[in-house]
Amino acid sequence: MSDKTHKTGKDQTKPAAEILGPGAVSMVLNVNGVSQSIDVEPRTTLAEALRTSLNLTGTKVACNHGACSACTVWLDDLPVAACSVLAIEVTSQKITTIEGLSETDHLHPVQKAFIEHDAVQCGFCTPGIVMSCAALLAHNPHPDAAEIEVAISGHLCRCGTYPHVIQAMLSLANKQEGNHE
Amino acid sequence: MNDNTPKHHERLSAGMAHLGLDQVTREISDSEPPALAPNADLNFIGRNTPRWDAVGKVTGAACYTVDVQLPGMLFAAVMRSPLPHARIRSLDLAPARNFLGVRAVVTVIEALSDGHAPAVRYVGQPIAAVAAETLAAAEAAIKLIKVEFDPLPFAIDIESAMRSDASTIYRQDEAAHIPVAGFPFVADLPLEGNVRGPSKREQGNVNDGFSSADFIVEETFFTQVQTHCCMEPHAIVADWREEGLDVWMSTQFTAGVRAQLAATFQLPLSRVRVRAQAIGGGFGSKSQLGQYGKIAVTLSRLSRAPVRLVYRRDEEQMDSGNRPSSQQHLRIGARRDGKLTAISLHAWGSAGIAQGAGVGDIAMALYACPNLKSLQFDVFTNTSPSTAMRGPGNTQGAFALEQSIDALAEKLSFDPLVLREVIDLSPVRREERRLGALKIGWAHRKTPGFDSGSIKHGLGMAQSLWMSNVQINSACEVRLWRDGKVEVLSSVQDIGTGIGTLLQQVVAEELGLQPDAIGVRIGDTEFPSGPPSYGSRTSASITPPARSAAWQIKNALLQSVASHWNLDPQQLKIQDGWVQSADTPPRRIPWKEAVRTLRTDRISAVASRSDDYAGFHSRNGDSAIALNDLGGVQFVAVTVDTQTGVIHIERVVAVHDCGRPINPLQIESQIHGGILMGISYALLEERIIDPHTGCMMNPNFIDYKFAGPSGLPKIDVMVLENYQGLSATDAYGVGEPANIATAAAIANAVYNAIGIRINTLPMTPARVLQALRDANKGPVDGIF
Amino acid sequence: MESFEWQQATSFENAATSATHTTTEAMLGTQGKPVASQAMLIKAGGVDLLDLMKEGLVSPRRLIDINHLSEFQSISEDADGGFTIGALATLAQIAAHSGVGKYFPALVQTVTAAASPQIRNRATLGGNLLQRPRCWYLRSPAHHCLRKGGEHCFAYAGDNRYHAVFANHDGCAIVHPSTPATALLAFQAQIKCVSAQGAQRVIPIDDFFMLPSRDPRHENILQAGELITAVKLPAPHPAHRSAYLQLSEKAAFDWPLAAVAAVFVIDHNDICQQARIVLGSVSPTPRRAQEAENILTGAKIDPDNARTAAEAAITTATPLSGNAYKLPLLSALISRTILKAASCESPHERLL
Ligand SMILES: Cc1cc2nc3c(=O)[nH]c(=O)nc-3n(C[C@H](O)[C@H](O)[C@H](O)COP(=O)(O)OP(=O)(O)OC[C@H]3O[C@@H](n4cnc5c(N)ncnc54)[C@H](O)[C@@H]3O)c2cc1C
Ligand code: SF4
Ligand code: FES
Ligand code: FES
Repeated sequence: MSDKTHKTGKDQTKPAAEILGPGAVSMVLNVNGVSQSIDVEPRTTLAEALRTSLNLTGTKVACNHGACSACTVWLDDLPVAACSVLAIEVTSQKITTIEGLSETDHLHPVQKAFIEHDAVQCGFCTPGIVMSCAALLAHNPHPDAAEIEVAISGHLCRCGTYPHVIQAMLSLANKQEGNHE
Repeated sequence: MNDNTPKHHERLSAGMAHLGLDQVTREISDSEPPALAPNADLNFIGRNTPRWDAVGKVTGAACYTVDVQLPGMLFAAVMRSPLPHARIRSLDLAPARNFLGVRAVVTVIEALSDGHAPAVRYVGQPIAAVAAETLAAAEAAIKLIKVEFDPLPFAIDIESAMRSDASTIYRQDEAAHIPVAGFPFVADLPLEGNVRGPSKREQGNVNDGFSSADFIVEETFFTQVQTHCCMEPHAIVADWREEGLDVWMSTQFTAGVRAQLAATFQLPLSRVRVRAQAIGGGFGSKSQLGQYGKIAVTLSRLSRAPVRLVYRRDEEQMDSGNRPSSQQHLRIGARRDGKLTAISLHAWGSAGIAQGAGVGDIAMALYACPNLKSLQFDVFTNTSPSTAMRGPGNTQGAFALEQSIDALAEKLSFDPLVLREVIDLSPVRREERRLGALKIGWAHRKTPGFDSGSIKHGLGMAQSLWMSNVQINSACEVRLWRDGKVEVLSSVQDIGTGIGTLLQQVVAEELGLQPDAIGVRIGDTEFPSGPPSYGSRTSASITPPARSAAWQIKNALLQSVASHWNLDPQQLKIQDGWVQSADTPPRRIPWKEAVRTLRTDRISAVASRSDDYAGFHSRNGDSAIALNDLGGVQFVAVTVDTQTGVIHIERVVAVHDCGRPINPLQIESQIHGGILMGISYALLEERIIDPHTGCMMNPNFIDYKFAGPSGLPKIDVMVLENYQGLSATDAYGVGEPANIATAAAIANAVYNAIGIRINTLPMTPARVLQALRDANKGPVDGIF
Repeated sequence: MESFEWQQATSFENAATSATHTTTEAMLGTQGKPVASQAMLIKAGGVDLLDLMKEGLVSPRRLIDINHLSEFQSISEDADGGFTIGALATLAQIAAHSGVGKYFPALVQTVTAAASPQIRNRATLGGNLLQRPRCWYLRSPAHHCLRKGGEHCFAYAGDNRYHAVFANHDGCAIVHPSTPATALLAFQAQIKCVSAQGAQRVIPIDDFFMLPSRDPRHENILQAGELITAVKLPAPHPAHRSAYLQLSEKAAFDWPLAAVAAVFVIDHNDICQQARIVLGSVSPTPRRAQEAENILTGAKIDPDNARTAAEAAITTATPLSGNAYKLPLLSALISRTILKAASCESPHERLL
């Protein structure tokens, strides 16, 4: 846990005090391993930029205030709420969205487990929860129920999928144990 | 009804599977498929088939209305009233109209025909709306709209709205225009001041009933306003074109919205198309076209461009519907042996500026009682209009009824379960109580307030009841293509309940194919009209026609193979992907080859919902109520910390019935959802309105609180297999019953823990501490 | 959210020179009109600032981003045995830091109790201490209250269930929103600042926050053009132990109704030599419960004096119309925290 939480990838050099905006600014976002240029205003949140400029609509916005985590993406492998991050501030970081979690036609183990345990109802909160769960497994392959609970504690799901989400995650934790992965 | 088709007698399974099944004989139409075996004898029905749309949902590929982007699409924003009650003296839209990027502006608030200035009646009421090339432009433009108000006095709660000097929200001549909150609703009731009603129900004579009672309990209960909190906000993309109106909408009822659009905009049904591919929750709030729907369509018509309107979270919380508040005065009389002699209920509820704030029928319907009286009133307040919300009415009603029944049991010195054995005639509920009691360990339940420390344990239960709704206007098509592919099509939408999976299972069962081989095409009014996803009616309404259509397709295929082989189709059957004959040695061909015998590229069958085999209890337009009821029993274990007032729910056992369960795991998911929403209703949720400004103070997910994944109880769900021989699938709903009993069960458990009844929701630490202080039972040191 | 310019600061000094206002000042207005529409504001993690901007509560002309500056992102152990936490260290970083976790467990308990993993990965300690209060009237664009430059406080006659029960009668009744601040006050942290001129000052946290009686419009003494660079945790006493407990309506991800941090120095004979007890979420600033500290100092902590201390701590409370419930709850929480802190092991025990 500890070595994962230090800030990585931040620009260590000191750029000149350039002033950008308020109009659209050209920038490059590194999303799912691909650098993509977009033109957005400084006020554009990362969630908005992903959804509108890059058409990556798997990242959902439900509260737009950091309070539900539906918009969870990874910034350099750390889950963050993309609605409370500006696109312009993450141009030098690696962004991973639900679309980049697994390769085409291959589901991530978390996604498979969610399907198997019916941890999905309306599905609107689901991509965000999947991102949090996958981030947890990436550094802790055998989480216990308490660790799972902390990892998903920022999520709101009005359909009530939490019990099945926890079951799905526990099944993965146990399965991996058996396989000595 | 006027069904002239030939009929025959059919024997169908009936009873609860785990207790052994009986048979009932029903006279059914020859066009109905043969009796469906019990789940134990089936391949796919009754199994946990994975959700049909799960891959799209876990990968983010699923397309919700908020994800729809059309070329040239405009963005709408709504200008809303900042005041809770006012007349509009003047409204100047010109500055918005002239703002760069604005393409259409519309007045939403309607001037009354008699020349009165239009009134706004709650904070957040839409006044005007704008469509512009960017959302930022639309939002900037609405800020420029100039309105002059003449403020009026206002009332935000039931007490102040009922005061004799309260300013009236509607004049008598406006009564016809009052919006309807949804269910339950009784039309044409008298209006006096801000009070409308009563809606009345009476049976026997309650006065006689109370005089013959040995014991009477009487108490007043208060429930709060709860908001739906769909994770996907209300959203619509409307595209008004020459050829017709094309709408994408996050809705629980595509076909219903089409009908409302056609009526509102005077279009033929055939020129309106409504689509909802993935829907991020509804819970009752997305049942109608709604004002926001009309706004988007109007703006699209004016601008001749697609218009997208998506509510922000604060708009969603403020003005997309809610569960009405209630005050319920409930009086119940019983004889010494437990038999009820009278139940009388006086209820006042506020659906804000809407009518239809009732607390349902549960107090009149759950238990056997000869003398019943209920008077229910709507009280108008200057708050946003309610809409139906998961178990509307009965959820509020159960909180009062089930606590009162427990209170009565205590007076009678009966265990709550023993009293219910006396007064509840339902064999299904009885079995649910038995199973639930065993599972939670009811035998170890202590007397109220038993624990000596400051952390007190309690066990409680409550029952749920919901009517078994069926949408008659429900149709489903099954298509078989000559390449072997099968599709099931209906306008029915999947709001997360998993109806698409059920369609796959039912069709696969009939055709002997794997469920994932069945293509699901739903949520589009271009397909046969399906039922709404509300009222716990979707499975009951659409699975029987799906099975009928699949059965017809099967017959057509067998017919085709039979003529190919020169055999009687009666001699053929489909099994495990093969068509085979009954003669010896059997002839057989695989599915892929069988379909090649079809004369055309595609055959199709459309079936619609036939009446239940034993008829309906009642029928009203497109909707009917079946003869069975739906319900469940929930048991809850809690601890109450008497020093801090914190209630912790440790365990929930929920035993429910829904006819034939088609997908147990999906049913469990829905029951989890009902319970969690019930827990939040019981402990956390409350719309908070500032008394001095009428503003909602918690229109966000920070201050409007509902349960997250932390500190959840262990939840055990049991679902009965309860056959009744009523339709081609015998499947009924569960979404609402799962929500109705929870808060009441928690309240009864809290009583068992601390020996004090909490009559007001939500049961926050503040309320619990207050109740303890009022009862002089702590906090131990009597500090405040 | 209104549009704005974006400036990536090249250093803290550069940011300090560019910043024209504090967010607090930029939110002041008369009749909803901001005093400073040309404000250039410091942005760290942006969690609170963007929230305020989305609501239209502040519409700066420019944001000066300091979040990418590496100089104050880390946590280091000082020569004296204390720790210095850079203002830009995130709550997640603090939570995961083994040294801080070992010597200042109550601080780590506050940061792990705050917000969600997603927020903790972005929220900086500096920004956390400077976030605006959660008072829903302050957060509502429709209520131009005293703290935003208006005439009066809406909470007194309105819904004040989450407001202060102490020091709440001087025009404003907010509770301080920072969860970590409760523990930082208990640990006698110091706030290190730098100003545009490059001047450094070190402010004891006791002096950093301001009560409404001193100024109902500012939560702290930070000036425009002054930045927090770090928070210094002085070396803990070798025999200290600490605990933090909070109580909220939701099991997680919810600001507390009340919170308590307790730091004790307890000697070989189990006598409490020093006590610092701080109450959170009940007062406009994190509040020392000196009455309680006095009762425990010199005593052997037990359930009886813990309860006496808790009662003493709440005697001066002046609850509002809707928040008297906080008192029994707070009292229970104080005695539980006292007992928890007293019974836990001192991280230095081995050294004694
Ligand atoms: C849903 C939710 C729940 C939350 N729950 C909690 C909780 O339980 N407990 C809790 O404590 N907090 C909670 N928070 C608040 C959160 O912790 C703060 O918003 C966050 O810490 C702010 O840090 P930031 O770096 O994002 O600050 P910013 O938003 O960047 O800045 C906040 C303010 O500080 C100023 N500023 C920032 N850094 C400096 C500096 N170094 N020098 C001078 N000025 C500076 C900015 O100008 C701005 O005015 C919650 C937030 C959300 C959204
Ligand atoms: S408590 Fe303070 S911030 Fe809240 S309304 Fe009153 S003055 Fe404003
Ligand atoms: S949408 Fe970003 S946290 Fe809710
Ligand atoms: S699945 Fe619907 S909100 Fe989580």
